[in-house]
Amino acid sequence: MNPDVNPSRTRQEAEPTSGSAQAPVWLFVLVAVLAFWGMGFLDNYGGGFDPRVYEPYSARTEVERDQPSTRGRERFNAGRLAFLQYCAPCHMETGLGNPANNVPPLVHSEWALAEPPNRLIRIVLNGLRGPVKVDGKDFNSDGMLPWRDTITDDEIIARILTYVRGNGEWGHNASEITAEQVARIRDETKARAVQWTVDELLKVSEK
Amino acid sequence: MNQGPLIFLGVFFALALSWFGLVFEPQLQLGNAQQATNVVNPTQLYPQMRPGQARQGLDVYRSLGCAACHSQQVGQTGRTYDVTLTDAGTNRAEVIAALLKVKPGSNTAEVEKLAAGPMPQTILKNVPRAVADAAVAKLEPTGAKAEVKIIPTGPDITRGWGKRRSVAEDFLFDQPVMLGSQRAGPDLADVGSRLPDANWHLLHLYNPQILLKKSVMPPYRFLFEKRKVGREPAPEALKFSGEFAPERGYEIVPTDNARQLVAYLLSLRADAVIFETPITVARPPAASTNAPAAAATNAPAK
Repeated sequence: MNPDVNPSRTRQEAEPTSGSAQAPVWLFVLVAVLAFWGMGFLDNYGGGFDPRVYEPYSARTEVERDQPSTRGRERFNAGRLAFLQYCAPCHMETGLGNPANNVPPLVHSEWALAEPPNRLIRIVLNGLRGPVKVDGKDFNSDGMLPWRDTITDDEIIARILTYVRGNGEWGHNASEITAEQVARIRDETKARAVQWTVDELLKVSEK
Repeated sequence: MNQGPLIFLGVFFALALSWFGLVFEPQLQLGNAQQATNVVNPTQLYPQMRPGQARQGLDVYRSLGCAACHSQQVGQTGRTYDVTLTDAGTNRAEVIAALLKVKPGSNTAEVEKLAAGPMPQTILKNVPRAVADAAVAKLEPTGAKAEVKIIPTGPDITRGWGKRRSVAEDFLFDQPVMLGSQRAGPDLADVGSRLPDANWHLLHLYNPQILLKKSVMPPYRFLFEKRKVGREPAPEALKFSGEFAPERGYEIVPTDNARQLVAYLLSLRADAVIFETPITVARPPAASTNAPAAAATNAPAK
């Protein structure tokens, strides 16, 4: 026995060398199957990568089919623009009025939401002046403009009032107003040339 | 072995691919988003820029770390449909025949009551779209008018956190977007329409347990100033009841930050109906009669 040979060295394993081995076929099959499944998943639920399609919709056509109908809202929708033109300068786009200048709010106004709307239509046609209590607060208006001669189209008044009364954003849900209702009151009050006061309005006997 | 170029290419492509998919592609898709029109009212644009005070409130919200406990994203997992009869028309016999066909398991008496009752009446509840469409198609030829109601569903919507899911459009003007990721508290995406009372929010910030006994939200008293009542109590001072009120002669007044934060919370409303999130909203009821009816029932107080 040679004493120079270190016994531990002889037992050392051989230096590893790089070789090649075949990857298992099932791995490739699995990857292919997963890729196929992923593609199918994206096809079904990806909404075609459309930025405007969100869960739970999976295609733009589905979203398009679900668009709510605007039927029955035409008058309300048209009312917003007329409201912005005629009413918003004083009552504000928010309908909160301008209490500093004695402009009462429309939001939660018992006058605007009254059922039936006879007094409301009279107020719009001839205007209002004097003390008035709206939503629990007192206002003393110098005078709301009469719109009888400015807005001669009854339909426009009907649209505005429908918008004010039915505005869900203000928490309103009062009935629609038709041009016939406006025309009828316009005719009944055609002799009147001055603004209403609250006392006079409350005396109005509605038929 | 010199694998440098290979490693470089591998890293480069991995980063390039994720940049492409996570940054570039979304930017192409949503980067030039504009205000959208409200589907049920095309004269309205959504979203509107938040009012100035609310925009300052966003910074307060951010600095107080509200987003650590509150998310602002409502999820939606499904949708369901109701069919409502909005107008029974004049041809009662045919409408009733159609209703019997549409509503499974109904008898004539029930259906007659439906057609005679105040509109709108719900005919079908929780049905798939195809069934709802078929029902409307059967009803409309008889002269009746029916409508399909779209109702979003999902756990968040059941909790009342929103009426519909949140979409990218909701955050158009926010910088940064306060999406949040944890929900120690409720989601705030639609808190402005859920809790529209500014006073409620001020009291709740001062001490959440005044209003919600079990709340785990910390009080934000440093957003309020406790001071001696002057000649008259300040109009903006908080109105307390019971044990939480300060001692006599003192009042609690919100600071600017508190008011900005509340303005921001009230401006959080995700209820507009836009293309991406169709829902059915209530519409104004039809005029009851063609002519004004008798004496006002809702006469204003004198």
